[in-house]
Amino acid sequence: MSSTFSASPAGSSDRELMTRAAGGEEAAVGRLYDRYARVLHAVAYRIVGQRADAEEVVAETFAQAWRDAARFEEARGSVPAWLTMIARSRALDLTRARVRRDRATTSAGSEPGPGPAMGTWRSDPGEAVDADERQRKVREALAGLSAAQREAVELAFYEGLSQSEIALRLDEPLGTVKTRVRSAMQKLRDSLSPYFFERAE
Amino acid sequence: MSDTPHSSPMDLAAAYALGALDADDARTFEAYLASSPEAQREVAAFREVAALLAAGADAPAPGAELRARVLRSRPGTAAPQAASRVSAAARPRRSPWAVAVLASGMAAALFLAFALGRSRDTLRQELAARDSTLGELAARLRGREATLNAILEPGVRIYELTSSGDPKPGAQLFVDRARGVAILHAFRLKQAPAGRAYQLWFIKDGKPVPSLTFNADTTGHAMLQQVPFPAGGVISAAAVTEEPATGSLQPTTPILLVAPLPAS
Repeated sequence: MSSTFSASPAGSSDRELMTRAAGGEEAAVGRLYDRYARVLHAVAYRIVGQRADAEEVVAETFAQAWRDAARFEEARGSVPAWLTMIARSRALDLTRARVRRDRATTSAGSEPGPGPAMGTWRSDPGEAVDADERQRKVREALAGLSAAQREAVELAFYEGLSQSEIALRLDEPLGTVKTRVRSAMQKLRDSLSPYFFERAE
Repeated sequence: MSDTPHSSPMDLAAAYALGALDADDARTFEAYLASSPEAQREVAAFREVAALLAAGADAPAPGAELRARVLRSRPGTAAPQAASRVSAAARPRRSPWAVAVLASGMAAALFLAFALGRSRDTLRQELAARDSTLGELAARLRGREATLNAILEPGVRIYELTSSGDPKPGAQLFVDRARGVAILHAFRLKQAPAGRAYQLWFIKDGKPVPSLTFNADTTGHAMLQQVPFPAGGVISAAAVTEEPATGSLQPTTPILLVAPLPAS
């Protein structure tokens, strides 16, 4: 059921939307969903591997966002960065619970991107152009890393491995892993800072 | 696991933002982070990188129902249909009119609040028009409130009248035996033809006793208030038939709706 009237002018800041959404305003919740659900679903899907579970994670992420909104207001950083980390945590929790239950190992996750084609879900044509370009830039930036750097970052982000665990998994010295993560992230930051969702303060 | 020598806490910012610090390093770093705005900025920037990693990930789009689900569970929304769990004797179903009236009243008020960019005169005119609409709505609301209050009196019993027919009309009878009064709410009733009406009957000591006549509105609803509930005798059932508009002393057509009224 969509709102029949929208009080939000075009281009409301994410922070403003968060405050209003946490207060229960349906239009603000909808705007945030339209902007970021896809990204959150993508990170969840990469981690849990199934759409139903990924959707569950997205729902939980928003639910937690409303509960913790006060904490976000005190923090720096953009709304999508914050939401992404929540989604990642919830997704990792889900896979860990599943692993405990099923005694199956998660995939190595070192290849970028699973098989399924990209969805063509669009909620706002303007934002779609940004999303496409952003995605292209991210992939370019990732391609600019060495395979080892890319792997380290993806193991950390999508599998939630700590640097020690990555070192164990790859049978590499811890110092090497730490250097790789640091250089990879610095390189990514340098090439991607023009495409940040919002400039952090 | 200790960090490599000669590295500063700032070196940990990227890994921290990614969620990749071992527990000890994370604790150390968090202590440092609390007191260093520069470190906080670093972490924030690296968190943006992490968010972009997510944006670059290849994945199918979520289904459309997810949006509805997220909207439904926004803060402040009550659990749906929670009220129906309460026992019927204490909480009868709300009249659909009361809900519609409340909703349209709210919509009118909200429209006023969001009439941005209109001239003052236009606003004043609109306000005057809305005032009279609101006045009517308020009057109807007061009427509905009175009905609801009557229904919500403790000791009121509810009886469902059932029928066969297509579409099936239905009715509820709210009986306050202590006060000797009842309210009938009927729905999906075709409007009675000209010169005809529906009539309520109470079966007292096995025999039909005439009660009030009524008709349905264009939406198929009828609301009959202040119905005297017969005193004395055993009232075993209530029924509805179609009769001449002036009413009958005895039913002249087959029963349309009926409900047994067990004594207590």
